[in-house]
Amino acid sequence: MFKAEKFFQVLLLAYPRQFRREYEREMVTVFRDCYRATEPRFRALGASAFWAHIFLDLVQTVPKEHFEDFGRKNLFMKNLKKDVLALIGCAAIIIFALLLLTYGRKHEVSSILIFGYALDAMVTAGVAGNLIVFLLVKITRFNPLRIAFWTFLIVNAVPAVVLAIISSRLSPASRPGATVIGYAVSFVFWLGIHWMWAQWQNGERLAPSNGQ
Amino acid sequence: MTRNKSDPESLLPLRPSVFHILLALSDGDLHGYGIMQEVAEHTGGQIKLGPGTLYGAIKRLLSDRLIVEADERPDPELDDERRRYYRLTDFGQRVLKAEVRRISKMVAVAQGKRLIPKPRN
Repeated sequence: MFKAEKFFQVLLLAYPRQFRREYEREMVTVFRDCYRATEPRFRALGASAFWAHIFLDLVQTVPKEHFEDFGRKNLFMKNLKKDVLALIGCAAIIIFALLLLTYGRKHEVSSILIFGYALDAMVTAGVAGNLIVFLLVKITRFNPLRIAFWTFLIVNAVPAVVLAIISSRLSPASRPGATVIGYAVSFVFWLGIHWMWAQWQNGERLAPSNGQ
Repeated sequence: MTRNKSDPESLLPLRPSVFHILLALSDGDLHGYGIMQEVAEHTGGQIKLGPGTLYGAIKRLLSDRLIVEADERPDPELDDERRRYYRLTDFGQRVLKAEVRRISKMVAVAQGKRLIPKPRN
């Protein structure tokens, strides 16, 4: 009996985790009851008929439960799509900034070169900051906007201070003030992007969905 | 076509396993094994629900609010307290009645075609 029950528990691993969490204990109890009721008839073909019934039931219901579970996970896929969209958006902004800066340097467009400090900071802080924000949002349950605020504060403040100190000592031609302003602009820019993203997400969450 | 889940007719026809589970619960609260036994009994052993079929159906019936988990146990002294009992809801009863009416109409059609004899009054 004990072995049969253990074996049945192993078979139950075929079901989706959510389904097992909800009904495993009861299914084992029902199995135990069925086994006890059928055990006296286990001579002859009783045992094989019992196990055939259990296997057939498993084969019929496992795919169905996985199919339903997959439907539930579609929500996760939708969120994943949004995350990918956000990452692509960030990458597009960074690429655009890089292209603009390259164009400015190549053609010596002074108006763009003045913003070069900000663009450099936006690219550096953007790559590092967005990666950190993305990972923290996935791993932790903190408010995404709060994560973005602290992440971009750190990834902008640290290089701003370090570069301002180092560059003024290494090169007299460097402009530490411009570097700090560049990182301040980068902080405001990325926080603004994340704030808009949070507003859009909230709007979507509050909007009534059709057919519900 | 969208299904209006508050309309019993929209859930018809019921799967045989679902119909028999609702029918078993129409007499009162039952736990999983009790439902299995009741179904096997009133189908003359023709339908033997396996644990997967039973709990898959229960999961869907709970989500469609045709049944609920019962709070009280019919016989707490004799029974394993870990067992969950299920109860037919009012909506579940309406769905079951609608299904019985649908089947009755089918039976009447079959009788009209003399496929089965009419019951004697």
